[in-house]
Amino acid sequence: MAAKMDHAQFKLVIPSQTRYLNLVTGLAKRASLVAGLDDAAAAKVSIAVDEAVTNVILHAYHGEGEHTVELELRFTEQALEIHILHSGQGIRSDQMVLPDPKEYIKHPRKGGLGLLLMSRFMDEVQFKADEASGRNECCLIKKIS
Amino acid sequence: MADLSIAVRQVEGVSVLLPAGFINAHTVREFEEALENLVQNGHYTILLNCKDLNYISSAGLGAIMGLIETVREHDGDILLSNLQDNVFAIFDTLGFTQLYRVFGNEDQALAAATPERKG
Repeated sequence: MAAKMDHAQFKLVIPSQTRYLNLVTGLAKRASLVAGLDDAAAAKVSIAVDEAVTNVILHAYHGEGEHTVELELRFTEQALEIHILHSGQGIRSDQMVLPDPKEYIKHPRKGGLGLLLMSRFMDEVQFKADEASGRNECCLIKKIS
Repeated sequence: MADLSIAVRQVEGVSVLLPAGFINAHTVREFEEALENLVQNGHYTILLNCKDLNYISSAGLGAIMGLIETVREHDGDILLSNLQDNVFAIFDTLGFTQLYRVFGNEDQALAAATPERKG
């Protein structure tokens, strides 16, 4: 009999180093398939996770590699949730400014596209701060259709 | 297998770049250097054959965006071919398929880059 998937969850903790990005995106892709998403959706989840973890390493931790990034994957019947927690500098959802792609391609420049990809490829992107623990969180949600 | 390897060859005035693996924040510097080397050596028409590129994140897109104006100022261009579905989805989602010419295969891209090649 198949294991019941309701509220199943597990965690992965990685050093804040970009060398582990491929490990994380591979995990996100496989987890998406386990959750019931198709190949195309799984690829999008993996890119969104790459962008989120990259932001933590480069911006929240300013490229410092001695910190940790915690990924918590939660499986429900309705969605796959990926929570990315860290102790670096955080942003709130109301600070998330997405570039307009039409304007962007008129005036090409480096940067600014990660948040846009995350928001386009996931159903929900939330940023939260836990004042008690001092940790910040990016929550990515992909609904299972 | 390396995270990213990049082969470059010249075909009738077009620099064909074949990245294999993935381009993200960890590997993007290698990709940037390959592009910058071409531009610094006067190669302004660049075809990215992405048949072996498994994924590209915004870091890699930024590397391309950082050079597109430079190559076009020199009457060159950056063309794309053989995009895997998930890589195409990234370019298309961001509207970049309007900014770059995308082709199904390398021959089609080379024909467009060098019209005299096939008449």
